[in-house]
Amino acid sequence: MQLENANGLGEVLKMSAVGVDVLLTSGRTLKQGRGMEIGKLSSDYFDAVSICEMDESTLKVLGIEDGDPVRVETDIGSVVVFGKHDRRAEPGVVFIPCGPYANAVTGSDTLESGMPGYKSIPARVFPAKGETVPTVEEILAEMVGVG
Amino acid sequence: MTKEMLLTNGRVYDPMNRVDGEQKDIAISDGKIVERVSGKAKTIDLKGRMVMAGGIDMHSHIVGSKLGFGRAMCPEDHRKDPVPKTKVTRGGVGYTMPNSYVIGYRYSAMGYTTVIEPALPALKALGSWEELEDVPCLDNGLLPLFCNSMITFNYVKEKDISGLAGYIAWILRKVGGLGVKVVCPGGTYAWAHGRNVRELDSEVPDWGITPREIIRGLTEATEALGLPHTMHLHPLNLGRVGNIKTTIEHLEAIKDIKGHKGRKQICHLTHMSFESLAMHEDEKAKPEWKWVSSGGLELAEYANKNKHFTVDLGQITFGPATTMTGDGPFQFTLYQMTKNKWANICVDVEMPGGAGVVPYFFDPKSPANAVQWAIPLEFALSVNDVWRVIMTTDHPNAGPFTKYPLVLSWLMSKKQREIWLEKVHKFATERSTLADIEREWSLYEIAITTRAAPAKILGMHDVKGHLGIGADADVTVYDLDPTKTNLADDPEKIIKTFGESYLTIKGGEEIAKKGKIGRTPVGKVWTIHPEVSDELWERANKELEKMINRWYAHSFDNYPVPERYREHLEQKVVIDSTSVSA
Amino acid sequence: MTESEKVFQNVVCPFCGCLCDDLRIEVKDGKIVKNDEGCAISKAKFLSHDEDRLSTPTIKRNGEHVEVSFDEAMKRAVEILTAARRPLVYGLSSTENDAHREAYKIAETLGGVVDNTSSVCHGPTVLGVQESGEAAGSLAEVKNRADLVIYWGSNPQFAHPRHLSRYVRAEGEYIGDPKTGRKIWVFDIRKTISAGVADEFIRIEPGTDLEILGAMRAILRGHVLDIEEIGGISVKSLTEMVEKMKEVKYGILFFGLGLTQSKGRHRNIDAAVRLVQDLNTFAKWNMMPMRGHFNVAGANKTSTWQTGYPFAVDYARGYPRYQPGEYTAVDMLARGEADALLNIAADPAAHFPRRALRHMAAIPIINLDPKRNMTSLMAEVNLPAAMAGIECDGAAQRMDGLPMYLKKLIDPPEGVLPDRDILKTLHEKIAKEVG
Ligand code: SF4
Ligand SMILES: [Zn+2]
Repeated sequence: MQLENANGLGEVLKMSAVGVDVLLTSGRTLKQGRGMEIGKLSSDYFDAVSICEMDESTLKVLGIEDGDPVRVETDIGSVVVFGKHDRRAEPGVVFIPCGPYANAVTGSDTLESGMPGYKSIPARVFPAKGETVPTVEEILAEMVGVG
Repeated sequence: MTKEMLLTNGRVYDPMNRVDGEQKDIAISDGKIVERVSGKAKTIDLKGRMVMAGGIDMHSHIVGSKLGFGRAMCPEDHRKDPVPKTKVTRGGVGYTMPNSYVIGYRYSAMGYTTVIEPALPALKALGSWEELEDVPCLDNGLLPLFCNSMITFNYVKEKDISGLAGYIAWILRKVGGLGVKVVCPGGTYAWAHGRNVRELDSEVPDWGITPREIIRGLTEATEALGLPHTMHLHPLNLGRVGNIKTTIEHLEAIKDIKGHKGRKQICHLTHMSFESLAMHEDEKAKPEWKWVSSGGLELAEYANKNKHFTVDLGQITFGPATTMTGDGPFQFTLYQMTKNKWANICVDVEMPGGAGVVPYFFDPKSPANAVQWAIPLEFALSVNDVWRVIMTTDHPNAGPFTKYPLVLSWLMSKKQREIWLEKVHKFATERSTLADIEREWSLYEIAITTRAAPAKILGMHDVKGHLGIGADADVTVYDLDPTKTNLADDPEKIIKTFGESYLTIKGGEEIAKKGKIGRTPVGKVWTIHPEVSDELWERANKELEKMINRWYAHSFDNYPVPERYREHLEQKVVIDSTSVSA
Repeated sequence: MTESEKVFQNVVCPFCGCLCDDLRIEVKDGKIVKNDEGCAISKAKFLSHDEDRLSTPTIKRNGEHVEVSFDEAMKRAVEILTAARRPLVYGLSSTENDAHREAYKIAETLGGVVDNTSSVCHGPTVLGVQESGEAAGSLAEVKNRADLVIYWGSNPQFAHPRHLSRYVRAEGEYIGDPKTGRKIWVFDIRKTISAGVADEFIRIEPGTDLEILGAMRAILRGHVLDIEEIGGISVKSLTEMVEKMKEVKYGILFFGLGLTQSKGRHRNIDAAVRLVQDLNTFAKWNMMPMRGHFNVAGANKTSTWQTGYPFAVDYARGYPRYQPGEYTAVDMLARGEADALLNIAADPAAHFPRRALRHMAAIPIINLDPKRNMTSLMAEVNLPAAMAGIECDGAAQRMDGLPMYLKKLIDPPEGVLPDRDILKTLHEKIAKEVG
């Protein structure tokens, strides 16, 4: 992992728009659960699921602050979400709560099991300053082409 | 409008009314057998066909979490036996664990009208009631387990038979049960410690009580309450070579307990095939499968001398089966033996450690399986009083209930037994007396073992198991003129006759004809409501609230099965148990 | 207390597979005003149950959702389903068991496929169990006896917020003080909030669950491994762990989607089952899937007794057939096979991956849910439903298989029916069409 001695490197990476290679994983959170029960179209839900959690060094390498937008790309697609600092996280693994933003970059192949691979997807994270995070409706429209 | 029907010219076998193959008419009105019907009644001329009351299976696993586990775990079991939907019936699967609809259809097509699920974890009763809604064409009943419950242990430890009776009454009423089931008393509990209890006088871990005290306590409480069905017993050491000794010890341990109002029987021993394994006489013999021999004769001789119990066979049939018992430790042993997949199910405080499910194949070429097969046949054909012997396969443990016709052919035909003794491993001949037995059960005896006797043992004989006036109009007509065939010489005919009824009538309605289901009404679920004194009821409520809230992981309030799942199905039998002191 | 105030005790929470049954709910003027004992999610569910609802049936006209009568919406639903050649019935995990019964009937009458949401949560658990069996545990037994509790790939503090406090960090008959009487280990690829409260956190490298479980089993069976570490854990510490696992009185392995959804899927479960089965030679061990939606376990159960199979059931031939990977919802959609979707009490648009979603957009969807959600945005027909466990009663199954009765606390919004009633009517109408 080329994240060590990241200080100062962040700028360079950002400048060249080189992303950080990570494994993307998804899962439940308390906020996502609450948000879901308040309403999938509520701001609580949006706030809960439109994020990508990562450790401090990844934020630094990307040269962004906690809460700045990032673009997460996989073989399947890409999505803009808010980059969030998770103090328990370690480099190499980032986390998007389960929901439409995670799905936008998740593959549908179940390997004949019925279960798509929601966990540990090879991904690359880029800083995305200036880009907007789509709303739940927008991301749905983007994924399927309807509103 | 009254619905009337008249069945004429049947050959009737109705042992409860001592009718043995006489030509008789059967009149039906509004779901009951009556003296006579009006001229408007639908008349069916049976042309000499054989008539019996609807069949009653008193021990068959047809609903509940064990079965659910087994079904979910074994899709390979079902896919060999698809059952397409028809205009009247739902689609499904069959084989050893049919889906709920197919269970109802297949029993009905064979002429059965009542089937009892004999192992209900009381706290999961709601699930079983939901499931019974989808078992059509049959009346049912559920036997809750009391044998490994901490609440039972608590009362047994205190030697408080009234408290125990109060608990039993409370459970039967609150979850809707028909009687008291005991499985591996204390042993299943010990399974929560990864152990078993093998002797009647060994201590149950945590409690300092013994299986002897548990079965005595539960039998005494059952008799004190006067429950119609006696304590339904699956003893310790199931499936262990030499366990005939343990089984007889159990029966001895309760022999002196007085039956309610002087009744003779106080215990029903279930699936004796698994509990009557003797050890071959040889100085090298050890309690291992290679030394197994039949204990069927020994149990029969004991039964002929001691009248305090009844028995069902749990007849081993060859081929695939799915073993599922509340006997967790046994299931683990079986898993270690077979290395087949094994599910353990623990159902909380009723049976910590809980039940198990292991698929099994009974192989005619296996020496042990051959002996197991001979055991119940040897027993049944050596017991004098057929009223105390019920034909079952402990479905799906020793084989699916659809094998009943084959079992009947073994009981009714020496010729058939000889054919099979040729096919199976020679141990069946060498380690049992089966080959020497001449006896062949008559149709009258078949009517006893599949109708009259189970009704009696369950205490449902007022309205079930016979064709007398006032009985439920559950009637089976078989496509056989018994005056024209000697069934003993024609085993295939036995299988054909009992495999598919000519007509199955339940509650006065024609359900199945020549194996085809025409109607799928949901039957009644029979429950016993012991009315105890107010003091005892209050005491039970107070003490159970405390114990349940302390030991369980859900609340006392949410324990009972709500009326809305019961009222439309339940056939409540209220009994007076007010004589039990508080 | 006035007429319009009511307090309900021992209410079952219809959110997650814990089905906590100790809630105290206050209702005032037909509105839920208080939820005592419930966790944060539970409170949100009860107190916001009337927010963001689907208020009236809608159908789509020229791309717009138009409010219509119940009958009109029904009519459109029947048209869609009877015209479909390969209809998919899906969802069921957030409604009560009686609704399931109607859903299977519809699938059978249509000759369609019926799948529940377990195919994207614990479907691999079912497959693992079909391979090897299962030593299933119960929560009361855990509470009374477990002295070693493992959470593997599961974050209960977030997904099942009271799991720890009700069943694990709770007093038990044979445990005494739960803080000292039992140990909690968490295996995960991330240090989750649950890992923070555990006695041990074992970080494993993503995608190595299968290797680790296999290595543990090998160690348990006395094999010597000629490697230093596996999945980020040294073989030495793995060996120490296995030794401890052999010595417990009662161990329980709770496992979550971290095990079922990651690389290996059902093979991970198979390995875990085999490990737990082998452990039973040394000590009492059981395992339990951390079931997510409150009645997803119930969906498996009802499907099993009514069709013979726990999920992924196809009725095209008039009898149930079973094949995960074929008749599972994501596959049916991603392959472009389903040509209509009847979605009941689930939100596939929020939970399915991109390709499956894209096909959903191409086919008509009939959606039953109490709330607006992402699927309702796409649906051709929306049918608002009463909320099970709040506005209608029913039965559900806890993660350990315990059936629980959900109470009705208040009336649903006017004209809104329980799923079971809507589906029953729908089935009757379909049956009339199909003959
Ligand atoms: S833990 Fe689950 S069931 Fe219990 S209150 Fe919270 S959301 Fe409800
Ligand atoms: Zn049995």
